[in-house]
Amino acid sequence: MKENNNKIQSATAVILAVFVLAFSCAFFLMEKKEFSESENRYLSAFPEFSAETLKNGDFMEGVQTYLADHFPCRDMFMGIKAEAEIAAGKREINGIYIADDGYLIEAYKAPKNTEKIVGNFQKFYEAVKDEDVSVSLLLVPTASVIYAEKLPSFAQEPDQMGEREAIYARSGLPKIDCYGALMDKKDEMQLYYRTDHHWTSYGAYAAYTAYCEQTGIEPVMLEDLVAKEVSADFRGTIYSKLNDGRMGKDTITVFENPENQLTVFYTDTKETTDSLYNFAYLEKKDKYSLFLDNLHSLIEITNETADSERELVLIKDSYANSMVPFLVNHFKKIYVFDTRYYKQGPSSFVKEHPEVTDVLILYNMNTIDTDLGIGGIY
Amino acid sequence: MVFSSIPFLFFFLPASLILYYAAPFKLKNHILLAFSLVFYAWGEPVYIILMLFASAVDYTNGRFMDKFGADDRRRRIFLCISVMINLSMLGFFKYADFLVEIVNGLFGSSIKPLGLGLPVGISFFTFQTMSYSIDLYRREVKVEKNYLTYLTYVSMFPQLIAGPIVRFSTVNEELHERTIDWDGFVYGTLRFMQGLFKKVLLANNTGAVWEAIKGMETGSASAATAWLGAMCFTLQLYFDFSAYSDMAIGMGRMLGFHYMENFCYPLSAVSVTDFWRRWHISLSTWFRDYVYIPLGGNRKGAAKQLRNMFIVWFLTGLWHGAAWNFIIWGLYYGVLLALEKFVWGERLSRLPSFLRHLYAVVIVVFGFVIFVFDDMGQLGAYISSMFGMAGNGLFGEEFLWYAANNGLLLAVAIVLAFPFYPFVKEKLKKVGKRGQSLLALGSMAGYVGLLLLTTAYLVNDTYNPFLYFRF
Repeated sequence: MKENNNKIQSATAVILAVFVLAFSCAFFLMEKKEFSESENRYLSAFPEFSAETLKNGDFMEGVQTYLADHFPCRDMFMGIKAEAEIAAGKREINGIYIADDGYLIEAYKAPKNTEKIVGNFQKFYEAVKDEDVSVSLLLVPTASVIYAEKLPSFAQEPDQMGEREAIYARSGLPKIDCYGALMDKKDEMQLYYRTDHHWTSYGAYAAYTAYCEQTGIEPVMLEDLVAKEVSADFRGTIYSKLNDGRMGKDTITVFENPENQLTVFYTDTKETTDSLYNFAYLEKKDKYSLFLDNLHSLIEITNETADSERELVLIKDSYANSMVPFLVNHFKKIYVFDTRYYKQGPSSFVKEHPEVTDVLILYNMNTIDTDLGIGGIY
Repeated sequence: MVFSSIPFLFFFLPASLILYYAAPFKLKNHILLAFSLVFYAWGEPVYIILMLFASAVDYTNGRFMDKFGADDRRRRIFLCISVMINLSMLGFFKYADFLVEIVNGLFGSSIKPLGLGLPVGISFFTFQTMSYSIDLYRREVKVEKNYLTYLTYVSMFPQLIAGPIVRFSTVNEELHERTIDWDGFVYGTLRFMQGLFKKVLLANNTGAVWEAIKGMETGSASAATAWLGAMCFTLQLYFDFSAYSDMAIGMGRMLGFHYMENFCYPLSAVSVTDFWRRWHISLSTWFRDYVYIPLGGNRKGAAKQLRNMFIVWFLTGLWHGAAWNFIIWGLYYGVLLALEKFVWGERLSRLPSFLRHLYAVVIVVFGFVIFVFDDMGQLGAYISSMFGMAGNGLFGEEFLWYAANNGLLLAVAIVLAFPFYPFVKEKLKKVGKRGQSLLALGSMAGYVGLLLLTTAYLVNDTYNPFLYFRF
């Protein structure tokens, strides 16, 4: 009996050793990827070797991340970990709630930079106040507020709405509130993606109606636009943080007004198109980027058939990209700024362009705190 | 390099073992030394010079002590040199800034702190080399004449940076002659894996809960949550540190060395005295043999014994870190041990065992709260949360959140902190032949499954500190 057990123990040790060796060999044999589609990020490169990096430990740290990033079956292991944690009863993993109805909802992180952001808003407002423009601020609550009832019981969320009010109050900017509009529509339509941190075109539309109502614009009816279901297998950024194959997929719907005659000019790449969408992204993992071709420091959108001569400066994060398709109906020209990439400061732009009539600042509550490039806002 | 990391587990360890096994015996120490130096330099590329220096000093002192065979006066001089160099090195790199802070506080001076990083493992290797000098002086070990062999002892990677504190006397003979066999490999592999699983699955995850609770805004944690957090930290520290010892002992066996056991289910202790017999055994026995007993131990009356206990516990606290909280933590145990010895030890032993467990656990958990905060303000705030005086009362909804998310993890961790595994093993001896084999197969599947899971956690390495790394 004893002997038999010893044999099994020996076999166990051998299997464990083979397991380890198999992965170390596989690592060397395997082709290394530069970019991880599933995680939507560049994987780290092998660190530079020099006396300096050796001395300060950067080299060693670099090797460690390199090995972890290029480890064989990385995606599978990520999924195993997520599944194990869910099985163990965890309902929050890597800052993601495993919420009801198949929703993955990003946790709202207690803000750290409110002071700085409020200061930037004030400075921007100061700078353009004397121009003949109407400025407004739209802060979008994230899914963890709008879909609060889907969060796991007792989830510990910081007070996002209170924070939002504080930013509105302290920045002094005229407030556009889309909370009510989102809450009104949430039973009718899907406002946020299940697997991505963005809102859907429907969420963007709801907020757009709030903007129109509060600025005196007659909104277009959703029924008057052409809806196109462009993807039914979208797995977004939140999905990538877990890489758990059991999670569902999302549908992306876009809206177009066939009557619009658009010219979309990407000033950084000098490309011009006639569409607000770049459907090439449908072939990729990060499909939300099809809205306005992902990130550009400044985009100029001209609509010959807009219902007014007004011109809008839009300072925003990626949430706004799916709202622009509705806004174009009312502005002859929209200048879309991403201050993370546009460094000159939109306030001087507004001063140099007297034809600008409106400024809309739009952020969702999660990126507003992490977007330190917002320093370029004034 | 930490043991529970991809570079170590999948590259460094297999490579070193393969070369080590393949080499003829004469070269094995050299291979072990070469890998150990790479291992240390990986985490400490500059201060490796200190370790080389310390071992050169003690080696040389040892040779001199040996040379003056019977002349105890001269031998004592070399013992003093060795101990002083080791202690000043430790003092300079670990305690200089603490001293500066105290001096500045007392005299209002503004001496600039040196801001030196603490060299990894310095508290461990200085204690190891001192054990050699002292034992040699006491003629308890033979002198080591080969510097490389001595350096191999000091730098041996399994125990270099976080213990156990392996004394020279333990491995003296094995450094020259040891059996490297299949049984050692099998035992070593399984023991190493147990440590790895404990570290990655239990210590890191209970640690993450502790970090979350500690990170809550002051006043938002109820007493229940604060105690839950303290319990998580206790579990983290125990599994982290004992896992490190498991991995060290396991790798030692693979290499043919037998290190001493360092933990014996300390959280199942029934008194504070019992706890310290089970926690970090290599450190407490070090202080016992090299400080407490030389001071006279308990042989010179109660007053002297009390004094000796306080010296030892002051030093034990200080050894853990250069900050007041560590000293308070050491003295906390000094007081409690004295109380058990002289006041309530007798009565305690007559209590039902459940109450004795509870008594010990509460003291230990509370002690680790003192241990973890080196900022007195934070410590005070946390303790007031623990007593429900920080504004969120005794019980809050947030407790349910942490409990629901981590209930299974905590249940497993608590069960494994008790001698449950040996107990089950003993019970299962009675099942028949068939049953035994089935169980062994089951445990095989368990090992493989847990290694798979552990790898998954390592690949997603978000939180993986080694707590005793910096002591």
